[in-house]
Amino acid sequence: MLLRPEPVVAVAAGVVTPLGTDLDAFWSALVTGIDGISVIEGFPVADLRVPRGGEIKKLPPSLAVAPGACRATLLLEAAARDLRARASLDAAPARRAVVLGTALGGVEQLERALAGDRSARRAAAALYDSPARALARRLDARGPVLTVSTACASGATALGVGADLLRAGRADLVVAGGYDALCRFVMRGFDALRSLTRERVRPFDRRRSGLLLGEAAALVLLAREADASGPRLGRLLGHASTSDGAHIAAPDPQGRGLEASVRAAMRHAGVTADDIEFVSAHGTATPLNDRIETAVIKRVLGPRARAIPVNSIKGALGHTMGAAAALEAIMCLLASRHGVVPPTLGFEEPDPECDLDYVPRLPRASRPRVSLSTSAGFGGCNAALILEGATR
Amino acid sequence: MRLAAVGVLTGWGEGVAALPDDARRAARGRRVVALSPPPSSERLRRATRECRLGVAAVRSLLAAAGLEPAAIAGADTALLYVSAGAYGAANRAFIESPGGALHFPYTAPSAVPAEVTIEFGLTGPYIILIGGGAVTIEALAQAERLLGQGSCERALVLAVETFAECADLYARARWAVGSPLVEAAACALFTPGPPVLTVGPAPGGSRLTDLARRRAGETFACGPLIGLALARETGDDPWSVSGQWRGRSAALLAR
Repeated sequence: MLLRPEPVVAVAAGVVTPLGTDLDAFWSALVTGIDGISVIEGFPVADLRVPRGGEIKKLPPSLAVAPGACRATLLLEAAARDLRARASLDAAPARRAVVLGTALGGVEQLERALAGDRSARRAAAALYDSPARALARRLDARGPVLTVSTACASGATALGVGADLLRAGRADLVVAGGYDALCRFVMRGFDALRSLTRERVRPFDRRRSGLLLGEAAALVLLAREADASGPRLGRLLGHASTSDGAHIAAPDPQGRGLEASVRAAMRHAGVTADDIEFVSAHGTATPLNDRIETAVIKRVLGPRARAIPVNSIKGALGHTMGAAAALEAIMCLLASRHGVVPPTLGFEEPDPECDLDYVPRLPRASRPRVSLSTSAGFGGCNAALILEGATR
Repeated sequence: MRLAAVGVLTGWGEGVAALPDDARRAARGRRVVALSPPPSSERLRRATRECRLGVAAVRSLLAAAGLEPAAIAGADTALLYVSAGAYGAANRAFIESPGGALHFPYTAPSAVPAEVTIEFGLTGPYIILIGGGAVTIEALAQAERLLGQGSCERALVLAVETFAECADLYARARWAVGSPLVEAAACALFTPGPPVLTVGPAPGGSRLTDLARRRAGETFACGPLIGLALARETGDDPWSVSGQWRGRSAALLAR
């Protein structure tokens, strides 16, 4: 018999995404198959091969946007407002922690600091942990404030680290999740790598040809089970993060690191393959990732892999980097709540090497109790979460 | 957990023996005391300076402990990496040199630990945190947690800080950072032991960390690890280290 760690509850969530600027709009758009990809308007893109992405065109009007404001901080502020509209932070400030994942931190501020803004404030804002510190100030969180940067797996690792802080008694409430804002720095970088597709993002599809980037912030309020008496989204049962030790930019060809991460998260959660009822895949729509990830899911879950839905939401909103895994974790919990698994937007033609049930075209009526969410990023970062939807 | 080995490289040289008694005096007015990585392998020819420093720090630890690289390879070693700003140099190079030679993935904070995992074959638990000394304390606490729950047999905590390429940016906020800024790469290897540490706020700092700051200078995330290296010299056992970062403090104290 496997021993489970002390359960950690996901009390509530708040998001801002290209699909909608609150949790309800995000979920509704996912289920109805809205495409959040558009031509980027927020900064010059004419010199890029691919000028499209999941850009948030309009932030909630209640946000006061000062000229030159850090966009990452604004996204976090918007997500935090959504979260606070759904739950209160019932803990003393010293017992509130913030743990955020990001691939880019405040790098847009470095662009400005180097472009002529010589203020000390701008230079300090360029440090990758500045947006998390700004959010902590906003939430009056005086406990640990941590920024995790395991590239595009950051959001999942942050949720795991947040749960660890609760289990260690370091905090009574943790606001955990991830964020990243689109900027020229990252668009230029992925453009140079030729990772961006000129076509539609098609996770697991035979014609998939790459990803598109997106921006978002996703926050989850975590608490120990014993301290959470009211409504909740569900529980984070287990997590793990591992390294490939293989390549600076490409995943391990066999997906050994991702497999180790999934197996470790399942061990941590005390679940077996038979318990998993849904997989939220990283599903970037790059030829390599989707093939490797499919093979990993099949190796870990065995025959179970073909019996359960597997989706990727990156076809709908792009790859939101540090926010991606946190958004996907929230999506898993909402799938349990609503009894619906969102479709994989862009998946139409099966690939012989990607031969699982990817929830094509339409949402699936299904109420997964236990979900697996997988993530990976540059530098051989892998992370996996095991989530349980609320039963009440 | 037990401290098994420490590796320290600073702008002053290798190991704590290279540290001056007073970094401020030894810096003679220099704002940044730079650190050049030792020659590295052909595999690292595209890697950034900070990546090569991370690899060199682990090599220094292994040499000091008389260990072969195979001793840490595999899934049983966790890697916890911390840096406040070592990614700054690569970020700046990428922004200022459109079409330059820097490979974009090297701009990510994850590049330094990635090269370490590749070089030494580390495939175990993996956490990357951004911040200075107070965050290194959190990484040490995570290391104890991973060892305590049996997720690994060894935990390597690594920190790298470089300043030279962004010295002008740090100068803009000089009121907020210590002086001199001393580039460093430091790591500590831990093995399982009884849970003897507790983590919490440390408004007063710790003797070892104060000593590290006086002798090494401002090394951000590396400070607590240099403090651990100094513990071996001073004989502090049990040891206690603390860290500060942007108005927050944390300490790892003997229970």
